[in-house]
Amino acid sequence: MNPAIGYTAIVGVALVSALIGFYGLRVSRTTSDFYVASRTVRPWWNASAIGGEYLSAASFLGVAGLILLTGSAALWFPIGYTAGYLMLLLFVAAPLRRSGAYTIPDFTEARLESPWARRVTSLLVIVIGWFYIVPQLQGAALTVRITTGLPSWVGSVAVAVIVAVVVAAGGMRSITFVQAFQFWLKLTALAVPVIALLLVVGGGEPPAQLTPAEAFPPSAGPGDLDVYRTVSLMVALLLGTLGLPHVLVRFYTNPDGVAARRTTVIVLVLLSVFYLFPTIFGFLGRAFAPDLAASGEADALILLLPERLVPGPIGDVLTALVIAGAFAAFLSTSSGLVISLAGVISQDLLGGSVRGFRIAAIVSTVVPLLVALATESSGLAGSVGLVFAFTASTLCPVLILGIWWRGLTSRGAIAGMLTGAVLSGAAILGGPFVATSVPLIAPYLEQPAAWTVPLAVIVIVTVSRLDRRGTPAGTDAFLTRLHVPER
Amino acid sequence: MSDAPTPPPRVRVTAPRTAGGTSARPVRSSGADDPAGDIAAVYVRSLIRSQLRLAVTVAVGFAVATVLFVLAIALVPGLDDAYLAGVPVSWVLLGAGIYPLVITVGGLYLRAAARNEARYRSLAEDE
Repeated sequence: MNPAIGYTAIVGVALVSALIGFYGLRVSRTTSDFYVASRTVRPWWNASAIGGEYLSAASFLGVAGLILLTGSAALWFPIGYTAGYLMLLLFVAAPLRRSGAYTIPDFTEARLESPWARRVTSLLVIVIGWFYIVPQLQGAALTVRITTGLPSWVGSVAVAVIVAVVVAAGGMRSITFVQAFQFWLKLTALAVPVIALLLVVGGGEPPAQLTPAEAFPPSAGPGDLDVYRTVSLMVALLLGTLGLPHVLVRFYTNPDGVAARRTTVIVLVLLSVFYLFPTIFGFLGRAFAPDLAASGEADALILLLPERLVPGPIGDVLTALVIAGAFAAFLSTSSGLVISLAGVISQDLLGGSVRGFRIAAIVSTVVPLLVALATESSGLAGSVGLVFAFTASTLCPVLILGIWWRGLTSRGAIAGMLTGAVLSGAAILGGPFVATSVPLIAPYLEQPAAWTVPLAVIVIVTVSRLDRRGTPAGTDAFLTRLHVPER
Repeated sequence: MSDAPTPPPRVRVTAPRTAGGTSARPVRSSGADDPAGDIAAVYVRSLIRSQLRLAVTVAVGFAVATVLFVLAIALVPGLDDAYLAGVPVSWVLLGAGIYPLVITVGGLYLRAAARNEARYRSLAEDE
């Protein structure tokens, strides 16, 4: 690949992001500007902004790569990423907006009237955010290595530095229209190449490397389904979405609970449209670039395919477009996460000052950067899937029970969150080591959500029932506020 | 967003309000200190129950529909051998078929949840 294209696209996106960041200082909204100004935000804008923040490296690069690598089992990832918002709509959207809580720790503290529940939640949010940023940085490493030939660490460091500087300078990512713009940029950066590639391929030139029967064998098809893994993955993705810190913050910008619901339905539409394109990319890859799966570069499929199928300047433009879209995905998701994390860290540990926020923003970026540099990417969609499993086992049960079950107590919530964290964390971290020696239990460790989520719920309910202190005094009033319509 | 006629003045706040969910909005139910409050509390509980029932029903319905859809893809013969633009129909169906279901289910829920709230409101206003 011509490195000039890579440099141009990456530097362009980085410059635009940094410029908007510094310009954003003037119209800056730090975390809580949402409280007032954003009440005018329309559901369409808000939904685009949620999409812009949500679609990460896993969605942009990982889905197509995984389809190329594993076949139709990978199609469950975008389904889960989308349907997670259905669960969010059903169980969380309107009540959470009405709660007035700005972050998940705010919510647990208000609901459970316990600073300890808040601290445990904050800790989990920080861990989840860190491990969600890691795949973004690994995606950046991959993109930089593939497109410019520079060493991998350059990509991770570049994204980390840009994000830390931009967030610490102005926190511009909170501006709804920038995130909304990011969504449409990412959509365009996939849709235009897909349409161009389909036109080229439809002309019969170049010919596919594999026949349809070879490219889409029934053994990798929808009929050959690993039931446990699929169910467990869906539990993780459907429920994990509820607890993502950077997504939740966006809901506060809805004027009321009904608008929060409407926004979520629009998000469903936007994500459904978006995910068609990585899916088509994956299908094209299976027929036209099967060698990438063998060489372990599956996640780079979207970056490499345009150039392979369309040589010449048009191919260069398409390549530049996908590189720009990929970098937009790394930057927007990482900065959304870093803002959420910095908010939590600065508020709980550093007293909530602006200076504290800046320090926290740097800390929130450095830790995942070190992890990303120390570890190898094991497939972007897969690593993000594990973060969803952890979220689903820890924050999601507390959030749902806190909204719908008046019997939840702070001890129950803390016990359940710790149980879910220990079990799913041990399965995720220890799984690769144990799985090789005892292959029989490998699926249960690699996709733990199907058993860790129910166990966490059981612990929460049992401990809450046994808690002699009972439910907090303000529970009824709080639940009333969550569920009663505004007007 | 820029086309709103007069945006409210921006107010800069440096940290979220630590009191958690202290919303300025008044809460309807006053609690258990008077009979009217008791009735209001009953209405609220029935609203929560009906919303929960609705959410669980929709979630289970979605899960069942998805399972049936996947079973149909796996069991209907010939879907692996019929091709649409070079891709087996079974792959196309799994890759694109569940999204319309998700959107439809979401839209139906939106209306039903609003209906529950309208019912609650008319009860509470009769009070």
